[in-house]
Amino acid sequence: MKKFLPPLIPLVVITLALEWMVRSAFVPGYLVPAPSAVIRALFDSRDELSAAMAKTSAAAVIGFALSTFTGVAIAVLLSSSRAIQRSFYPYAVFFQTVPIIAIAPLLVIWFGYGMKTVIASAFIVSIFPVIANTLTGLLSTDPALRDLFRLYGASAGVTLVKLRFPAALPQILTGLRVASGLAVIGAIVGEFIGGQGLGSVVDVARTQQRVDKVFAAVLLASLLGLALFGVINLISALTLRRWHASEQAS
Amino acid sequence: MDLTIDAGEFLAVLGPSGCGKSTLLRMIARLSVTNGGRIVAEPEQFQTAFVFQDAHLLPWRTVLDNAALPLELLGIGREERYSKARAMLAQVGLAEAESRYPAQLSGGMRMRVSLARALVTEPRLLLMDEPFAALDEITRFHLEVQLRDLWQRRGMTVIFVTHSISEAAFLANRAVVMTRRKGGIKLDRRMDLPAQRTNDLRSDPRLGHEMKVLMEAMEEE
Amino acid sequence: MNRRTFLGASAALLAACTRTAKIRLALNWKPDPQFGGFYAASYEGHGLGVEILPGGAGTPTVQMIGAGSAEFGIVSADELVVARSRGNDVVALFAVFQNCPQGIMAHASRHLESIGDVLKEGTLAIQRGLPYARILEKKYGFDHVKVVPSPGGDISAFLRDEKFAQQCFVMSEPLQAKHAGVDVKVFPVADIGYNPYTTVLATSGAQLKNDPDRAKTMVAAVRDGWQAYLNDPAPTNAKMHDLNPSMDAAAFAEVAGAQKPFIETAELGSMTADRWTTLIGQLAELGDIPRAMPAQDCFRNL
Repeated sequence: MKKFLPPLIPLVVITLALEWMVRSAFVPGYLVPAPSAVIRALFDSRDELSAAMAKTSAAAVIGFALSTFTGVAIAVLLSSSRAIQRSFYPYAVFFQTVPIIAIAPLLVIWFGYGMKTVIASAFIVSIFPVIANTLTGLLSTDPALRDLFRLYGASAGVTLVKLRFPAALPQILTGLRVASGLAVIGAIVGEFIGGQGLGSVVDVARTQQRVDKVFAAVLLASLLGLALFGVINLISALTLRRWHASEQAS
Repeated sequence: MDLTIDAGEFLAVLGPSGCGKSTLLRMIARLSVTNGGRIVAEPEQFQTAFVFQDAHLLPWRTVLDNAALPLELLGIGREERYSKARAMLAQVGLAEAESRYPAQLSGGMRMRVSLARALVTEPRLLLMDEPFAALDEITRFHLEVQLRDLWQRRGMTVIFVTHSISEAAFLANRAVVMTRRKGGIKLDRRMDLPAQRTNDLRSDPRLGHEMKVLMEAMEEE
Repeated sequence: MNRRTFLGASAALLAACTRTAKIRLALNWKPDPQFGGFYAASYEGHGLGVEILPGGAGTPTVQMIGAGSAEFGIVSADELVVARSRGNDVVALFAVFQNCPQGIMAHASRHLESIGDVLKEGTLAIQRGLPYARILEKKYGFDHVKVVPSPGGDISAFLRDEKFAQQCFVMSEPLQAKHAGVDVKVFPVADIGYNPYTTVLATSGAQLKNDPDRAKTMVAAVRDGWQAYLNDPAPTNAKMHDLNPSMDAAAFAEVAGAQKPFIETAELGSMTADRWTTLIGQLAELGDIPRAMPAQDCFRNL
């Protein structure tokens, strides 16, 4: 419980301040909704919002899983040879820089309106941190340990599985932490174009000037991102607990 | 340089920084390629082990799994490699630490695991690159005695690179001092010291004398 | 300088500033013929310094007026009514389109008879949040048609799929489609009885109260501008084309001509209370606003 208290206090303070500011008309309610209005919108539209949340969650999780496996695989491939790395890494950077808003219509052409486009969007937006961090991790293996493995005749495959990959785990998890939030963003953007889930709720509510509903949907999207982040943190704690400085208690 | 090493020797290699002593070791281990020269071994192939300056353990594995690693890489089955690793850990005095993780060990303990790992394959040749340089003096003294003891019992060849004249003198029965440049040998000396080496030897004037010879060789140039 | 002189000088400076202060006019889309009159207007000639801020998808013009980040903005009548119901005091001054030019376009080859037929199968790209979308849903149901977000002026999905219908501006996207070789049938939204004023110049109630003359002058300038644009759109089209090259010069001319019938009326831009009352009633019935409001609150004919 003690761990949750510090982040809760600013949240409570800000929420109360915001409520007071809207109620006293210091801030117009049509620009920023009072927290109580957001809660009411959450409750009133709970069926619609929970269905939308389920869709966005599914897309974000699937997109994130895909970018995790594909990203790690690409990084393993890139790390295998300097030549391959130099030839193909710039293309991986493309995933980082392409504005998803611009290519989302293209996604609709290829995947149609619906879940596939949303997953594709989540995938594209979240894959680069996985590739970059995994690659760094794989390339940073202790050279003395590499020598040790060579000394005992270990093949490249064995060295990858028993040495380079476990050694890269902390770095990989860092990449996953970043990617998890991006997957949610990617899903929402995909939904603006593809038309479902929380993204669609935000788009429609915005047209109707329902700022309270917009904020309610955004709040749920943030919680989704937080949940994914929490899962990665849990995995990190469980796997790194015994041996990595980042998870050792002070 | 031209250097012949006999089986069973404990050879110390001394020299100023950059003279190539680590490179020499790596070439013998066939981790680096020779440039113009040759490493000739008889027999051709045999088990070699390497101990680095840092213990370089795999932090995500227990002490036992770390010690057993070479056998695992050579394809030895679980039961056999664990029993051999346990035996080796007992020899270096770490029998109770086998389920701990490297992060929970002191520097000296980690170096002992590294040593156990090196010896677990019963290597004919043990190469050591300043392994005790990062440890405190008391731990060094103990490990030096332990190493010498292990060497005597196993009859393997040890090539020990070090910066420390006192360490070279204490451990080796033969010492070689390399030149600053060009990888030549300035001094090749059989140590005039008893076969049994304990910490008592450290205050023996004979050790001081050997050290003086080595130091003079190191200093002149 | 003593205190009196200082205050006097400051007041004079402030007065001078407000007179020549930049008036920001926020558009809710990129520069195209629907804003022709605003670009054609000679604001300096009327003594006003106006800066036109082009918009795009989702530009929140009603909120901008409410928040004060624009003195004037282009809104649609229905979103103005909804904004008012939320406490945002926005007031309409000039309605460019006397009749709503929104519609649904479908491939002519489908031989559809009425707007309800569009909803019997295939895909409909429409902004679901718009009132007329929900009127359509209420009247005909969306059970047999796949509803997707509107691609915002992009007809590529429409061209690719015969069963794809999308919302449009009656004089814009259908012409694009025709040029691309697809004949279309357009169903105006007005046909289902929903006909709000569109592309409406609005300002905040506070500004109207503080400086009614400025608002009046603004409307006069805009009215003259629209008259000029209707008479000869070419020079203004050139100016807008520079700002929005995504639409070619020929399209500008074509749309400018096609939109005329929606705009022309005795006194350009004027509005009636009846039209507003009808709209308010429709929105109240839809549930978009909690209760009806007096039409007089929503507009002024200046």
